[in-house]
Amino acid sequence: MIRFEQVGKRYPNGHVGLHELSFRVRRGEFLFVTGHSGAGKSTLLRLLLAMERPTSGKLLLAGQDLAQITTAQIPFLRRQIGVVFQNHQLLFDRSVFDNVALPLQILGLPKAEIAKRVGAALERVSLADKAEQYPADLSTGQQQRVGIARAVVHRPALLLADEPTGNLDPRLAAEIMGVFEDINRLGTTVLIASHDLALIARMRHRMLTLQRGRLIGDGEAA
Amino acid sequence: MGATQNPQQAQKTAERLGAAPKRAAPQRRSDEPSFQELFHAWLESHRASLVDSLRRLARQPVGSFFTCLVIAIALALPMGLALLLNNLERLGGSWQSAAQISVYLKLDASDADGERLREEIAGMPDVAAAEWISREQALAQFQAQSGLGQALKDLPENPLPGSVLVTPREIDKVALEMIRQRLAELPKVDQVQLDLLWVERLGAILKLGDRFVFGLALLLVLALLLVIGNTIRLHIENRRSEIEVIKLVGGTDGYVRRPFLYMGALYGLGAGLLAWAVLAYSLDWLNGAVVRLAGLYGSDFALAGVPTADGLSLVLGAVLLGYIGAWLAVARHLSELAPK
Repeated sequence: MIRFEQVGKRYPNGHVGLHELSFRVRRGEFLFVTGHSGAGKSTLLRLLLAMERPTSGKLLLAGQDLAQITTAQIPFLRRQIGVVFQNHQLLFDRSVFDNVALPLQILGLPKAEIAKRVGAALERVSLADKAEQYPADLSTGQQQRVGIARAVVHRPALLLADEPTGNLDPRLAAEIMGVFEDINRLGTTVLIASHDLALIARMRHRMLTLQRGRLIGDGEAA
Repeated sequence: MGATQNPQQAQKTAERLGAAPKRAAPQRRSDEPSFQELFHAWLESHRASLVDSLRRLARQPVGSFFTCLVIAIALALPMGLALLLNNLERLGGSWQSAAQISVYLKLDASDADGERLREEIAGMPDVAAAEWISREQALAQFQAQSGLGQALKDLPENPLPGSVLVTPREIDKVALEMIRQRLAELPKVDQVQLDLLWVERLGAILKLGDRFVFGLALLLVLALLLVIGNTIRLHIENRRSEIEVIKLVGGTDGYVRRPFLYMGALYGLGAGLLAWAVLAYSLDWLNGAVVRLAGLYGSDFALAGVPTADGLSLVLGAVLLGYIGAWLAVARHLSELAPK
């Protein structure tokens, strides 16, 4: 599903974000990308979201070369990807329901369909009773779960998460990871960037280790 | 402002990302939205953008009102001047129709000659009316208007000639000159006086006024686009994080642009209505003084208000300007709003 072939990313100021990165991710796989700050985890996610383009190599997402994608195609690519952020990126002037409904509204789905899918997504993250509340009324863990519901409500083929447990205590972090595993079991490919090695080790999934933009490890977390 | 995904494109992308490919003759699944449902959803999406824009404007009533007022004043200025010029043209037109040709007869012409000449002139096709003023009537009028009553009485004989006052059907410089020549050739006619210089001057002033209003309107339209653009830019700045999230979850530029276009159009609508009200009130306020002044000159002239068609054009133009201003502002700033 994802293919990095000698992918490099060099910024105009000369900083190199990624060095000739090569790896593949199969459809339905669950994997972590780990490394210290500045290792290139976020750059990797930004390339997958077409927020940036590789400066060398080939990056294929479901056969589509992201170096060649046109600006007009980017929104349609992103509609097939769910993304979860460390800081949730919720809209605080909208209710939980409206936050989760956003990707479906963008898709132009009918109201009834939106209500059905949002209800199901909130059910999946155990927040069905919080639909009418506002993000500010929720705990950090609940906010993160709203973010996850928004990321999966449009049934994406790929779910990307950038440090999704960064602000959570270990119990909540494990709970959130459990939600990701549930989503993965339904067939969604899940790629999580995290530096929480203890948590990653407990989950026993494939782990890519980056260091200063280079891939230095690819195997099951131990 | 299409934000919904092209179904073929969506299917293609979905297939590449793992969704099952559609069969050659796909059967619509019962849980898939129909075209009608999607159309309603599209309408609903526009309605939601409009309502959202209205809510945001209503949340800052004072700010929104003053923005509308600034735009309204900029709209009302050229429109008001144009309306005043129209009124002046109307006044000029009525004076033009009152323009008359004076045909002075020789001193030896009798009243009977004068009456005969009046009938002949009145029968001309391009003459609307002809009035005979005898030597005695002319002297009496002159005595009354000049204040030289006693001095004129002391004259040994009446020095004023009889005259025919001719009202032409049309005020056209060439046509009037032809009438003048024809009248000058009539028997017993001494002199024909035609004075249209003031009408020409008024026409030239009005043309200059038209150009001034056009130039002013162009400048103010530019200023309006800047005002609306700047207002929308501030709204964009306030919603920067929301726009970034929308773009990250697959919102197209059209989807992002839509609420701002509605907002620009709503500013235009508010400003257009306000400008119409300001103009109507201002003309009404001026009209009292104009009627009094016109009365002093023996005229029943009154300012015409804002015609409904002009008012509607003003509102429509303002909505269009708001829309264009917003479109330009969003187009200018959208590229800077890439998700971070």
